[in-house]
Amino acid sequence: MDILVSDNWLRDFLKTSATPRNIARYLSLSGPSVDRIEKRDGDFIYQTEITTNRVDSASIYGVAREAAAILPRFNIKAKLVPPKIKSTGNFVGNVKYLDVKVDHKLCPRFAAILIKNVKIKPSPDHIKKRLIAVGERPINNIVDISNYIMHELGQPTHTFDYDKITDAKMILRASRKGEEVVTLDNKTHTLPGGDIVIEDGSKRLIDLAGIMGGLNSAIDSNTKNVLFFVQTYNPVNVRKTYMRLAHRTEAAAIFEKDLDPELVSLGIKRGIDLFIELTGGKPESQILDIYPKPYKAKKVVTSLPFIEERLGVSLSKKDISKFLNSLGFETSWKGQKLETSVPSYRSNDIEIAEDIIEEIARIYGYHKLPSKLMTGSIPDPLPNAPFTFEQKIKNLLSGWGGTEVYTLSMVSKDQAGNGALKLKNPLGEESSYMRTSLKPSLIQVVEDNSGEKNPFHIFEIANVYLPRKNKLPDERMILAGIFANTKYREAKGIIESLLEKLNTDVNYIAEDDKGFLASKRISIKSKNKKIGEFGILEENYIYYEFDTELLGEESLSVSPYTPLPKYPAQIEDLTLVLPSKTKVGDIVTFMNNADERVARIELTDIFKNAYTFRVWYQHPEKTLNNEEVEEIRIKILDGLKEKFGATSKD
Amino acid sequence: MQKRSQKTNSLTSLILDVKNEALAQIMDAKKADELENLRIAYLGRNGKLTKLIKEIKDLPAEDKKQAGRLINEAKNTVLETISSQKNTFKEAAREWFDATIPGEKPNVGHLHLVTQAIEEISDTFKKIGFVRVRYPEVEWDWFAFESLNIPKGHPARDDWETFFIDTPPNSKYGRVCLTPHTSSGQVREMERVKNPPIRMINIAKCYRRQLDVSHTQMFHQFEGLVVDKGISIIHLKGTLDYFARNFFGKDRKTRLRPHHFQFTEPSFEVDISCGVCKGKGCKLCKEGWLELGGSGMVHPTVLKNGGIDPNKYTGFAFGWGVERTFMMKSGLEMGDIRLLYGTDLKFLTQF
Repeated sequence: MDILVSDNWLRDFLKTSATPRNIARYLSLSGPSVDRIEKRDGDFIYQTEITTNRVDSASIYGVAREAAAILPRFNIKAKLVPPKIKSTGNFVGNVKYLDVKVDHKLCPRFAAILIKNVKIKPSPDHIKKRLIAVGERPINNIVDISNYIMHELGQPTHTFDYDKITDAKMILRASRKGEEVVTLDNKTHTLPGGDIVIEDGSKRLIDLAGIMGGLNSAIDSNTKNVLFFVQTYNPVNVRKTYMRLAHRTEAAAIFEKDLDPELVSLGIKRGIDLFIELTGGKPESQILDIYPKPYKAKKVVTSLPFIEERLGVSLSKKDISKFLNSLGFETSWKGQKLETSVPSYRSNDIEIAEDIIEEIARIYGYHKLPSKLMTGSIPDPLPNAPFTFEQKIKNLLSGWGGTEVYTLSMVSKDQAGNGALKLKNPLGEESSYMRTSLKPSLIQVVEDNSGEKNPFHIFEIANVYLPRKNKLPDERMILAGIFANTKYREAKGIIESLLEKLNTDVNYIAEDDKGFLASKRISIKSKNKKIGEFGILEENYIYYEFDTELLGEESLSVSPYTPLPKYPAQIEDLTLVLPSKTKVGDIVTFMNNADERVARIELTDIFKNAYTFRVWYQHPEKTLNNEEVEEIRIKILDGLKEKFGATSKD
Repeated sequence: MQKRSQKTNSLTSLILDVKNEALAQIMDAKKADELENLRIAYLGRNGKLTKLIKEIKDLPAEDKKQAGRLINEAKNTVLETISSQKNTFKEAAREWFDATIPGEKPNVGHLHLVTQAIEEISDTFKKIGFVRVRYPEVEWDWFAFESLNIPKGHPARDDWETFFIDTPPNSKYGRVCLTPHTSSGQVREMERVKNPPIRMINIAKCYRRQLDVSHTQMFHQFEGLVVDKGISIIHLKGTLDYFARNFFGKDRKTRLRPHHFQFTEPSFEVDISCGVCKGKGCKLCKEGWLELGGSGMVHPTVLKNGGIDPNKYTGFAFGWGVERTFMMKSGLEMGDIRLLYGTDLKFLTQF
């Protein structure tokens, strides 16, 4: 949470010669982080970030307490001056002016005092000025007192019009489901149940405790007698209530962080002093205080070797004690063993020895610790790590003109596929399912770029999420891409080159499947296992997809070595006239398999129905002579004629 | 007869002299324009050799042919020598050639910025023995929160901040969520390795319920985790400084400030010295420092949950946004981070 701290106000409690700039700088290094300082009306305002575990420093006094411990470490004198209290009121468990029944599980400490004959009027200027400095709008002296104490001490308080509490009776209890309360802001809340409420003598709810007071018991311009009310509440109940009612107030934000009950004493006495000063009211001498389990100091034990090992430096016992004492911890050493006694305001945050380490280390100064890389042995690599392989694919495809995209893993219901995982709390319908295919996302990319008339190729490597019963989904890393405005052979050539560069041994098999135009799709298989597909979608884009894990299994990381042939190949072009609807892929396969001396076949030209193939004839142990080449050629041509009806053009 | 042959003889020797003189000068020439001047001096309209040609007509008829042949040969020799001399010059343009003409570019594609960032980040950590891993994006509550010491009721576990899958919870591992941070990989990595040392760098997609100019519901984080005997804060500082020097630049350093996370104790906010003002303070940074992200010493409860004895081993962890860290390095000022996960080719083809 962010709070504003006024430098003038801070110096009520912090005697130091430190400049505002140094206070901000050094607090940030060792305590709460000051994000900004602003100079305003002769004052400096520190915009300060308080972490959620440190509600004790979410106030001006709390920040002063930190500063008093931190500044001396930067050679700047600083002393904490606790608030001066004049009130001599006694804390007692029973008072005549209020009859109270409290559920202690909901309210660990309940304190209240009746203040009679208050005069409601604007606060004096010095109070107003301070409230404005910390971002609060002055209202009248009663409201201002509550806000003043909240900013100064971090203790939320509340004020009732005493005369509106029927029979001066209060029952603090958990709400029942469906009960109603109208809060100060005139909002009616139907309670979910388990909320902390206060009921008066006429059985009506007069307070939504820890969140906001009830309208029926609120101070108004005719109020004479005020019941000033200082409590701590069970943080879980407060949090649940404001979440369910979506009604988070400043008080709730503090109570949900488990406020120190010991702070109540200071809060109520500071309030009494301010009531006397600002309203002329007369407080009762007895302060009602229901506090069945007062704080008993928590002990945390650690040791010098433990501290030194975690910090990585050696420290003297004396320094360790000094650092901890400056933060309010009591310390006692028995040999190397250190027993610390945790101050009440740190009890919700300090549990284990590591927490004590943190306190010592930050006051010692993180910036003073040396910086060194660890030695020690290096872990084994991850078996079958996929990262290099995936990066190789990305490099190859982008090298051949592909543009990589990252699209959202969540898609709309239409795009998700059957049985896809559904989000319970999506940000919108179009991102409410976990995708089972990259295809819809990539089609979307192409359609969003429909203005692009030049050929382009987009691709992505990302997970799809295939649901499994009673298990997390199967996350498959998929490579998919689309070629737009691109010729079929050019697109296929890129995929063929990719598979070659990945050293895979694959077959391309024409197989129809849904989503693709009839006859315009091939399956890509390795040893009869399908690893991918390529073809023309019904949307008329050329699409391909591979499961990268399967692809990786079929890929050799280094090209196989083939000894260079000792004898040169004979190379010639054969031009064949093919009957219409002949699959050239089959022709190539046939030619390749026609004779083992056929080393390589390439389609080099197409003119109408005439296809020119370049043929490499080669023998590992000799140079083939013309007669031998002719024998092979005849074998190929005869076979092609018989099987495909192909004729030689020559 | 005597007189004529004398005339022929003197012309013949004159031709040979002029030729030799020309050749000597050509061989000495250093530049194309010198050669051109020599060509004009010998073969131009008033050139020395050209003048001699005019004298042939005065020779006796029987000598004319031989003298003509001789002078032609001299002329050819001079021309050839000029050409070959020209070819020996390194810089001279032997023929007109425009080296500045724009090239015909191959069709070059584009790796996504996030891919580039991930590569650089993982390369940097690889050099100091970190092992790159990745873990499920759709994850159990246990790994994403509970095992990380984030108790039920903690704001991070709210439906406000984290995406959940609409499916019944598992009795052991709880609800199914989209992992909101790479920290979910900490306990998984401890379970995989079992016996430290662990030096993990986990880079993965993360998801949070946020969407504005500086947040996207899907983003990337990288998480470092080191567990071994005797790991202390100084090793965390050493690792962060190593990263700062090698990723951001050799004069950059980091600092730690107190912070709070459930799964580390102590916890730190990491700042890096500003690259623009070199730490002096400017409008881009806070007093010379920029916030990088969170880190801390692994909480003993987390080690325990990962099956590692916290009395024997200690560790540190840090987890930062890939996009943010890369933007800070490259100085790219992207007004709207959502462009990264958008579909606009005009944007994507810039990188």
